[in-house]
Amino acid sequence: MADQSLSGLTDQQAKEFHEQFKVTYTAFVGLAALAHLFVIAANPWW
Amino acid sequence: MSDVAKPNNPEDDWKIWLVVNPATWLMPIFFALLVLAIAVHWVVFAVGLGWQ
Repeated sequence: MADQSLSGLTDQQAKEFHEQFKVTYTAFVGLAALAHLFVIAANPWW
Repeated sequence: MSDVAKPNNPEDDWKIWLVVNPATWLMPIFFALLVLAIAVHWVVFAVGLGWQ
């Protein structure tokens, strides 16, 4: 029980999950940036 | 104290999942993000920057 991580995931599982997390997060940021560009085009807030 | 390994980001970012178990916390993280997004939109509309 000593060498288990706090979360219980192995290094391999954590790295594997992080790869997917980065992809999904990048897509989220991309979509948010696109939405902001539409708002800027339609109704700039400055 | 100086022999503690210094974090090296973003290369070590994945280690967060050695502390936070996504099987438990991924959905709460998504719900927190949803609450934050609703709050931001609420404020934007409240200050009159939304479409009228």
